[in-house]
Amino acid sequence: MEIIKTKEGSNLKVAVEGRLDTVTAPQLEKELRDNLDGIKELDFDFEKLQYISSAGLRVLLSAQKIMNKQGVMKVFHVNSDVLEVFDVTGFVDILTIV
Amino acid sequence: MNPYLKLSVAVLLPALSSVILYYLDRKTIFGRINGTIKQLIYGIVFGALAIIGTEWGIPMNGAQVNCRDAAVLTAGLLFGAPAGIIAGIIGGVERWIAVAWGIGTYTRVACSVSTVIAGFYAAGLRKFMFEDKKPGIWISLEIGIVMEVFHLTMIFVTNMSTVNQAIEVVKSCTAPMIVGNGLSVMISVIVLTLACRESLKMQKRNQARITQTIQRWMLLAVTLAFVLTSGFVYRLQTKASVTQADNLLELALEGTAADINASSDTNLLRITNSIGRELDDNNYGVIAEKYQVAEISLVDENGIIIRSSVPEYLGFDMHQGAQSEEFLCLLDDKTEYVQRYGPIARDSNIKRKYAGVRYGQGFLQVGYDAEQFQRDIDDEVIGFTKYSHVGQSGYTMIVDAKLQPVSLPEGLNLEDLNELGPEIENAGQNNTVVTKINGENVYCRYCTVEGYYLISVLPEAEVWRTRDIAIYINVFMEILIFAVLFAMIYMLIKRVVVNKIDQVNSSLDRITNGHLDEVVNVRSNREFASLSDDINQTVDTLKRYIDEASARIDAELELARNIQLSVLPNIFPAFPKRKDFDIFGCTYPAKEVGGDFFDLYMTGDDTLHFLIADVSGKGIPAAMFMMRAKTELKGLTETGMNLDEVFTQGNRKFCEGNDVEMFVTAWQGSVNLESGLMYYVNAGHNPPLVFREGRFDFLRSKRGFILAGMDGMTYKVQEMQLKPGDIVFLYTDGIPEAADVNGGFYGNDRLIEVINSREYESMEELCGFLKADVDSFVGEAPQFDDITMLAFRYLGSSSAPSMTVNEAKIEDIENVTAFVEDELSKIGCPMKAVVQISVAIDEIFSNIVKYGYQGKPGPVTVSVEAMEDPKRAVVRFVDEGIPYNPLLNEDPDISLNAEERTIGGLGIYVVKKTMDDVRYMYENDHNILTIEKKYN
Repeated sequence: MEIIKTKEGSNLKVAVEGRLDTVTAPQLEKELRDNLDGIKELDFDFEKLQYISSAGLRVLLSAQKIMNKQGVMKVFHVNSDVLEVFDVTGFVDILTIV
Repeated sequence: MNPYLKLSVAVLLPALSSVILYYLDRKTIFGRINGTIKQLIYGIVFGALAIIGTEWGIPMNGAQVNCRDAAVLTAGLLFGAPAGIIAGIIGGVERWIAVAWGIGTYTRVACSVSTVIAGFYAAGLRKFMFEDKKPGIWISLEIGIVMEVFHLTMIFVTNMSTVNQAIEVVKSCTAPMIVGNGLSVMISVIVLTLACRESLKMQKRNQARITQTIQRWMLLAVTLAFVLTSGFVYRLQTKASVTQADNLLELALEGTAADINASSDTNLLRITNSIGRELDDNNYGVIAEKYQVAEISLVDENGIIIRSSVPEYLGFDMHQGAQSEEFLCLLDDKTEYVQRYGPIARDSNIKRKYAGVRYGQGFLQVGYDAEQFQRDIDDEVIGFTKYSHVGQSGYTMIVDAKLQPVSLPEGLNLEDLNELGPEIENAGQNNTVVTKINGENVYCRYCTVEGYYLISVLPEAEVWRTRDIAIYINVFMEILIFAVLFAMIYMLIKRVVVNKIDQVNSSLDRITNGHLDEVVNVRSNREFASLSDDINQTVDTLKRYIDEASARIDAELELARNIQLSVLPNIFPAFPKRKDFDIFGCTYPAKEVGGDFFDLYMTGDDTLHFLIADVSGKGIPAAMFMMRAKTELKGLTETGMNLDEVFTQGNRKFCEGNDVEMFVTAWQGSVNLESGLMYYVNAGHNPPLVFREGRFDFLRSKRGFILAGMDGMTYKVQEMQLKPGDIVFLYTDGIPEAADVNGGFYGNDRLIEVINSREYESMEELCGFLKADVDSFVGEAPQFDDITMLAFRYLGSSSAPSMTVNEAKIEDIENVTAFVEDELSKIGCPMKAVVQISVAIDEIFSNIVKYGYQGKPGPVTVSVEAMEDPKRAVVRFVDEGIPYNPLLNEDPDISLNAEERTIGGLGIYVVKKTMDDVRYMYENDHNILTIEKKYN
């Protein structure tokens, strides 16, 4: 998995490539924990995300909870596989999928 | 010794000898002697008995009453034809030469010939009539009687010239000979029958034999004819004999009377002439005195007495009385005349006899009193009767008026006549009377002549002799003719009818016993030829019907067989896509349809059920019961209940309304193909052969009771862990109980030896190899029982590609996922499915690491398998962590907002949602989680 962060002021853009699973989720979690302070808008670009497991969902959920307090979080370019997981797990209602 | 006692002993000797010989034959070494020599011995023994019969005979009228013939008949009838002939010849020859030491000559020829013939007679009867068996009791009596009748007839035949003597001989010995010999033979038969411990009673047959019926009617007819002719002959001969006796007696009287008269007349005329010469006119009284005559009278030419020694007669006219008038013939042409003794004309109280001669112009008449003329002729008269005969043994006697005998035949005394006198006088002159003289019955009659009583006598025996000869000959002949007819009818009927019927019957017997190719072929006459044709035609028709019927049944059985086979699994390989096991089954019914069956089917993807069963009996009923059993057991199994419950309930159902009292032995196994764990239950079936650790062995396990045998039985399930490569071989008793032509069984020993003799590529090969071996053992012998086999080899889920991580950590997920993705790409799984499976792997593997092992890493095996119908990927996770079924977790509430949600349970929830099937089981200390994902 590769994480590409682009920070523009209070706007943080995170592009995740590869797999967001049990092994890699802690890595994303750490990146977010380190960078979310003062961020008003968090955008995930999942264009190159192959799939996501529940470990990834957990990271997204905790990020969403934080962003609910300090701004907005949007998810871009969700492919069908990932969208299915979001759909199955009810995450489509929690996340703001653009 | 009393002659009759002697005769009785002789009568009993054949019976005694028979019993002794019988026991010698049965109980001693004698029985083992060669048959020909035995016959010779029997012949000699009974020949000796015949000789004893001859020597111990009772002489009667020049004949011997004996039972020689009985000994010969006994030999022939009871001991064999040759014995009879030998005994007959010995007895006959001895009788011939026995004359030398004083045995009767008169019947020599008759006796000798009869004895020899008796031997042949008995031999012939035994051979042709009794089929070499001993005769019945009554028939043996009849045989003895007929033989003696023949014997007696022979006496007549050989003594034709002296038939009168012959009849006396025959009369005196007929009864004793017939009774003696007949009884002797009969007693021998009775005694021997008793010795053989057979019943004396004639076996009553409901239906008389043809010969018997004809013989009975013939006996009746012949007896009737016999009685009629005999009666007729008797009456005729009696009348003729009496008439003849009358004639003989009368002729004798007439002859003698004529002689006496002639003699008397001559005498009186001589005296009268002498008187005439001495007479002168005055000396009539003197002359009458001198000649002692009663009267001398001279009659003149006018018939008047002109001179007389009795003065009162002077002047008597001869015309005045009938008696005196007769003398007037002397005035015509006669010169002499003598009158019969009788009353005189002048006084009927005076009886005189007159003689007259011509004398001058008139005639001289001299009258005599009886004493006067009798005195003169007595001497002559005695001569008349002394040598006269009436018939052969009759005679004539003369008695004077005072019943003083004048002439008697020699040997007869006066005293004998005392009773006779009044008797014959009462009968009157010239009437035949039957009386007794000297104690002998006689016929006699009398007449008076010249003052004498003249009596002729004929013994009764002589009177009846001709009649008796006729009757005896008649009766004997009738008996002999009947005997011959009897035998002839018997032989003829037997030859013409009975033998043919027997022939037909024996053919019919063969036909009834199923030999429909038998042809009846009795063509001796038209009736039998027609009967034969009818029977043959009937059998042909029957055969045609049977052929048609059997063809129809064959067709129906063929259909039944097809139906039966169609319900058994018959497409192999049964599960071509399955690589984790190999199974093959086959059945060879003994009849067209059988009671064996097997079944194999899966429930779900990982449980294989296989079953073998044997319904008692064979044929259609067994097959029908089998269909029901198969359906029922499968139905119960498919409900998912445990095997023991399947059998317990199945048994209860089979017992309901099992009127035919059939039962089933069955063995069913259910294998979890993933774990190799097999549950099985045995209801009275042969133990299967299980291949483990390189060798087949019987799976000795607890056998339950047969199915359908008793309601309420319960069955216990047992289990066994199969390892890849293990084989379970099921079979029915048709294999161990297969029999070869000598009746030897194939047996378990040979089964286990043969099955262990090699290795098998496939289960089909295993079944084929065993069947071939059974076939070569059985050879030409017919197959008695169905042969059914079912072979299952567990190959194990290891056939699927797998990867095992010995100490699973989170980091291993990548390797595992890479392995699975690699396998999935090989089977052409689309990317989307691969992604979803990868997510599932992530969730499950991390679960196992985190919760299953709880920080103590253990092995995890992941296998991937592609399945067909529908196409799907199956990924299985096996770990040895704590038993944990993640599927039991509560699903998360996905409708909550982000703040309220927890992350727990989400992973499994995703798996459940994205996979088509997720299964969990815990077996043998293993958690097994299987996921399936369909794809196209």
